[in-house]
Amino acid sequence: MTDFSNALSVAASGMRAQAQRLTHVSENIANADTPGYHRKITSFEAERGVGATEGAVRTGPVRLDQTALPVIFDPSHPMADDGGSYEGSNVDLVIELADAREAQRSYEANLRIFDQIRQMSTSLNDLLRR
Amino acid sequence: MFEGLEIFQLARGLARHSASRQAVVAQNIANADTPGYRARDVADFDQTWRNMTAEARMGRAEMPMRVIDAGTPASPNGNSVSLEFEMLRGIEAQRAHSRALRVYGSAMTILRTSIGR
Repeated sequence: MTDFSNALSVAASGMRAQAQRLTHVSENIANADTPGYHRKITSFEAERGVGATEGAVRTGPVRLDQTALPVIFDPSHPMADDGGSYEGSNVDLVIELADAREAQRSYEANLRIFDQIRQMSTSLNDLLRR
Repeated sequence: MFEGLEIFQLARGLARHSASRQAVVAQNIANADTPGYRARDVADFDQTWRNMTAEARMGRAEMPMRVIDAGTPASPNGNSVSLEFEMLRGIEAQRAHSRALRVYGSAMTILRTSIGR
Protein backbone atom coordinates (compact mmCIF):
# COMPACT_ATOMS: atom_id res chain seq x y z
CA MET A 1 0.00 0.00 0.00
CA THR A 2 2.89 2.39 0.70
CA ASP A 3 4.14 1.61 -2.79
CA PHE A 4 0.88 2.95 -4.17
CA SER A 5 0.64 6.05 -2.01
CA ASN A 6 4.27 6.94 -2.73
CA ALA A 7 3.72 6.41 -6.45
CA LEU A 8 0.61 8.57 -6.36
CA SER A 9 2.50 11.45 -4.79
CA VAL A 10 5.36 11.02 -7.29
CA ALA A 11 2.89 11.26 -10.19
CA ALA A 12 1.29 14.29 -8.54
CA SER A 13 4.71 15.95 -8.19
CA GLY A 14 5.26 15.38 -11.91
CA MET A 15 1.96 17.03 -12.75
CA ARG A 16 2.74 19.96 -10.45
CA ALA A 17 6.15 20.48 -12.08
CA GLN A 18 4.70 20.37 -15.60
CA ALA A 19 1.95 22.82 -14.62
CA GLN A 20 4.64 25.17 -13.28
CA ARG A 21 6.46 24.88 -16.59
CA LEU A 22 3.23 25.71 -18.44
CA THR A 23 2.84 28.80 -16.23
CA HIS A 24 6.28 30.02 -17.28
CA VAL A 25 5.48 29.35 -20.92
CA SER A 26 2.30 31.41 -20.71
CA GLU A 27 4.19 34.23 -18.98
CA ASN A 28 6.69 34.16 -21.84
CA ILE A 29 3.94 34.25 -24.47
CA ALA A 30 2.11 37.06 -22.68
CA ASN A 31 5.33 39.10 -22.63
CA ALA A 32 6.38 38.35 -26.20
CA ASP A 33 6.11 42.06 -27.07
CA THR A 34 7.40 43.52 -23.80
CA PRO A 35 10.61 45.50 -24.49
CA GLY A 36 13.63 44.11 -22.63
CA TYR A 37 11.93 40.86 -21.53
CA HIS A 38 14.13 37.75 -21.23
CA ARG A 39 12.27 34.46 -21.63
CA LYS A 40 12.07 32.23 -18.54
CA ILE A 41 13.48 28.70 -18.70
CA THR A 42 12.07 26.00 -16.41
CA SER A 43 14.49 23.43 -15.01
CA PHE A 44 13.63 20.17 -13.28
CA GLU A 45 15.44 18.52 -10.42
CA ALA A 46 14.90 15.64 -8.00
CA GLU A 47 13.09 16.48 -4.76
CA ARG A 48 15.50 16.36 -1.82
CA GLY A 49 15.45 17.15 1.85
CA VAL A 50 13.44 16.02 4.86
CA GLY A 51 10.09 14.44 4.04
CA ALA A 52 10.74 14.27 0.31
CA THR A 53 9.25 11.30 -1.52
CA GLU A 54 11.84 9.16 -3.26
CA GLY A 55 11.80 9.78 -7.00
CA ALA A 56 9.61 12.88 -6.86
CA VAL A 57 10.43 15.85 -9.05
CA ARG A 58 10.18 19.60 -8.60
CA THR A 59 11.01 22.66 -10.63
CA GLY A 60 14.39 24.23 -9.94
CA PRO A 61 15.17 27.95 -9.81
CA VAL A 62 13.95 29.95 -12.79
CA ARG A 63 16.69 30.92 -15.21
CA LEU A 64 16.48 33.70 -17.76
CA ASP A 65 17.50 33.10 -21.35
CA GLN A 66 20.64 35.19 -21.85
CA THR A 67 20.38 35.30 -25.64
CA ALA A 68 20.96 38.84 -26.93
CA LEU A 69 17.76 40.87 -27.21
CA PRO A 70 16.87 41.83 -30.78
CA VAL A 71 17.22 45.49 -31.60
CA ILE A 72 14.08 46.79 -33.31
CA PHE A 73 14.13 49.96 -35.34
CA ASP A 74 11.02 52.04 -34.66
CA PRO A 75 11.55 55.80 -34.11
CA SER A 76 7.89 56.29 -33.11
CA HIS A 77 8.17 53.87 -30.17
CA PRO A 78 8.12 55.64 -26.76
CA MET A 79 11.19 53.68 -25.58
CA ALA A 80 13.25 54.31 -28.71
CA ASP A 81 16.72 55.74 -28.07
CA ASP A 82 18.47 58.50 -30.02
CA GLY A 83 19.12 56.17 -32.96
CA GLY A 84 15.38 55.36 -33.18
CA SER A 85 15.64 51.73 -32.05
CA TYR A 86 14.77 49.78 -28.87
CA GLU A 87 15.43 46.32 -27.45
CA GLY A 88 12.60 43.82 -27.88
CA SER A 89 12.14 40.51 -26.06
CA ASN A 90 13.93 37.27 -26.95
CA VAL A 91 10.72 35.21 -26.82
CA ASP A 92 10.24 32.98 -29.87
CA LEU A 93 6.58 32.00 -30.14
CA VAL A 94 7.36 28.81 -32.07
CA ILE A 95 9.69 27.57 -29.30
CA GLU A 96 7.12 28.48 -26.64
CA LEU A 97 4.35 26.59 -28.44
CA ALA A 98 6.56 23.51 -28.82
CA ASP A 99 7.47 23.74 -25.14
CA ALA A 100 3.80 24.03 -24.17
CA ARG A 101 2.94 20.98 -26.25
CA GLU A 102 5.75 19.00 -24.62
CA ALA A 103 4.60 20.02 -21.15
CA GLN A 104 1.07 18.94 -22.02
CA ARG A 105 2.29 15.57 -23.25
CA SER A 106 4.30 14.95 -20.07
CA TYR A 107 1.37 16.10 -17.93
CA GLU A 108 -0.95 13.64 -19.66
CA ALA A 109 1.53 10.80 -19.17
CA ASN A 110 1.66 11.56 -15.44
CA LEU A 111 -2.11 11.73 -15.30
CA ARG A 112 -2.46 8.39 -17.07
CA ILE A 113 -0.08 6.71 -14.61
CA PHE A 114 -1.90 8.34 -11.69
CA ASP A 115 -5.14 6.84 -12.98
CA GLN A 116 -3.56 3.39 -13.46
CA ILE A 117 -2.21 3.35 -9.91
CA ARG A 118 -5.59 4.41 -8.59
CA GLN A 119 -7.29 1.58 -10.49
CA MET A 120 -4.75 -0.92 -9.17
CA SER A 121 -5.28 0.13 -5.57
CA THR A 122 -9.06 0.09 -6.06
CA SER A 123 -8.93 -3.49 -7.34
CA LEU A 124 -6.75 -4.39 -4.35
CA ASN A 125 -9.35 -2.92 -2.02
CA ASP A 126 -12.09 -4.83 -3.85
CA LEU A 127 -10.54 -8.07 -2.57
CA LEU A 128 -11.69 -7.07 0.91
CA ARG A 129 -15.28 -6.57 -0.16
CA ARG A 130 -16.13 -10.25 -0.72
CA MET B 1 -1.97 -23.46 7.66
CA PHE B 2 -3.39 -21.44 4.80
CA GLU B 3 -0.41 -19.08 4.91
CA GLY B 4 1.74 -21.73 3.31
CA LEU B 5 -0.38 -22.38 0.22
CA GLU B 6 1.92 -21.65 -2.67
CA ILE B 7 -0.71 -20.20 -4.98
CA PHE B 8 -1.43 -17.43 -2.48
CA GLN B 9 2.27 -16.72 -2.02
CA LEU B 10 2.75 -16.61 -5.77
CA ALA B 11 -0.21 -14.29 -6.30
CA ARG B 12 0.94 -12.05 -3.47
CA GLY B 13 4.48 -11.96 -4.84
CA LEU B 14 3.27 -11.01 -8.32
CA ALA B 15 1.00 -8.31 -6.93
CA ARG B 16 3.87 -6.83 -4.88
CA HIS B 17 6.24 -7.04 -7.83
CA SER B 18 3.86 -5.28 -10.23
CA ALA B 19 3.01 -2.63 -7.63
CA SER B 20 6.72 -1.81 -7.20
CA ARG B 21 7.12 -1.80 -10.95
CA GLN B 22 4.28 0.67 -11.33
CA ALA B 23 5.88 2.87 -8.66
CA VAL B 24 9.15 2.90 -10.61
CA VAL B 25 7.26 3.77 -13.82
CA ALA B 26 5.64 6.71 -12.00
CA GLN B 27 9.10 7.94 -10.91
CA ASN B 28 10.42 7.64 -14.46
CA ILE B 29 7.53 9.60 -15.94
CA ALA B 30 7.67 12.29 -13.27
CA ASN B 31 11.38 12.73 -14.09
CA ALA B 32 10.91 12.69 -17.87
CA ASP B 33 12.45 16.19 -18.10
CA THR B 34 15.02 16.04 -15.30
CA PRO B 35 18.54 16.43 -16.74
CA GLY B 36 20.81 13.45 -16.15
CA TYR B 37 18.03 11.13 -14.94
CA ARG B 38 18.39 7.49 -16.05
CA ALA B 39 15.23 5.46 -16.60
CA ARG B 40 14.96 2.51 -14.23
CA ASP B 41 13.02 -0.72 -14.14
CA VAL B 42 12.51 -3.51 -11.63
CA ALA B 43 14.12 -6.86 -12.42
CA ASP B 44 11.97 -9.57 -14.01
CA PHE B 45 9.45 -11.38 -11.86
CA ASP B 46 11.10 -14.82 -12.16
CA GLN B 47 14.34 -13.33 -10.82
CA THR B 48 12.72 -11.47 -7.93
CA TRP B 49 10.52 -14.50 -7.18
CA ARG B 50 13.56 -16.74 -6.87
CA ASN B 51 15.13 -14.18 -4.52
CA MET B 52 11.92 -13.85 -2.53
CA THR B 53 11.56 -17.61 -1.96
CA ALA B 54 15.23 -17.93 -1.03
CA GLU B 55 14.92 -15.07 1.45
CA ALA B 56 11.70 -16.44 2.89
CA ARG B 57 13.40 -19.76 3.58
CA MET B 58 16.12 -17.91 5.46
CA GLY B 59 13.46 -16.20 7.54
CA ARG B 60 13.61 -12.76 5.96
CA ALA B 61 10.30 -11.78 4.46
CA GLU B 62 11.48 -8.52 2.94
CA MET B 63 11.54 -8.63 -0.85
CA PRO B 64 14.71 -7.27 -2.46
CA MET B 65 13.81 -4.74 -5.11
CA ARG B 66 16.58 -4.66 -7.61
CA VAL B 67 16.41 -1.70 -9.92
CA ILE B 68 18.13 -2.06 -13.26
CA ASP B 69 18.99 0.57 -15.82
CA ALA B 70 16.57 0.27 -18.71
CA GLY B 71 18.91 0.59 -21.67
CA THR B 72 17.14 3.23 -23.74
CA PRO B 73 19.24 5.80 -25.60
CA ALA B 74 19.71 9.06 -23.71
CA SER B 75 18.79 12.51 -24.99
CA PRO B 76 21.42 15.32 -25.08
CA ASN B 77 20.74 16.34 -21.45
CA GLY B 78 21.50 12.79 -20.24
CA ASN B 79 17.86 11.83 -19.65
CA SER B 80 16.97 8.34 -20.88
CA VAL B 81 13.20 8.28 -20.23
CA SER B 82 10.95 7.42 -23.16
CA LEU B 83 7.30 8.18 -22.40
CA GLU B 84 6.07 5.54 -24.87
CA PHE B 85 8.10 2.76 -23.23
CA GLU B 86 6.97 3.88 -19.79
CA MET B 87 3.31 3.77 -20.88
CA LEU B 88 3.89 0.23 -22.11
CA ARG B 89 5.52 -0.79 -18.83
CA GLY B 90 2.73 0.83 -16.86
CA ILE B 91 0.08 -1.14 -18.77
CA GLU B 92 2.12 -4.35 -18.33
CA ALA B 93 2.36 -3.78 -14.59
CA GLN B 94 -1.34 -3.03 -14.34
CA ARG B 95 -2.26 -6.22 -16.22
CA ALA B 96 0.08 -8.35 -14.13
CA HIS B 97 -1.41 -6.82 -10.99
CA SER B 98 -5.01 -7.52 -11.97
CA ARG B 99 -4.02 -11.04 -13.03
CA ALA B 100 -2.46 -11.66 -9.63
CA LEU B 101 -5.52 -10.37 -7.83
CA ARG B 102 -7.81 -12.47 -10.01
CA VAL B 103 -5.77 -15.61 -9.26
CA TYR B 104 -5.83 -14.77 -5.55
CA GLY B 105 -9.59 -14.21 -5.65
CA SER B 106 -10.44 -17.44 -7.45
CA ALA B 107 -8.10 -19.48 -5.24
CA MET B 108 -9.93 -17.97 -2.30
CA THR B 109 -13.26 -19.01 -3.84
CA ILE B 110 -12.02 -22.59 -4.27
CA LEU B 111 -10.86 -22.61 -0.67
CA ARG B 112 -14.24 -21.31 0.53
CA THR B 113 -16.08 -23.91 -1.57
CA SER B 114 -13.91 -26.70 -0.22
CA ILE B 115 -14.83 -25.84 3.37
CA GLY B 116 -18.47 -25.58 2.36
CA ARG B 117 -19.19 -21.87 2.69
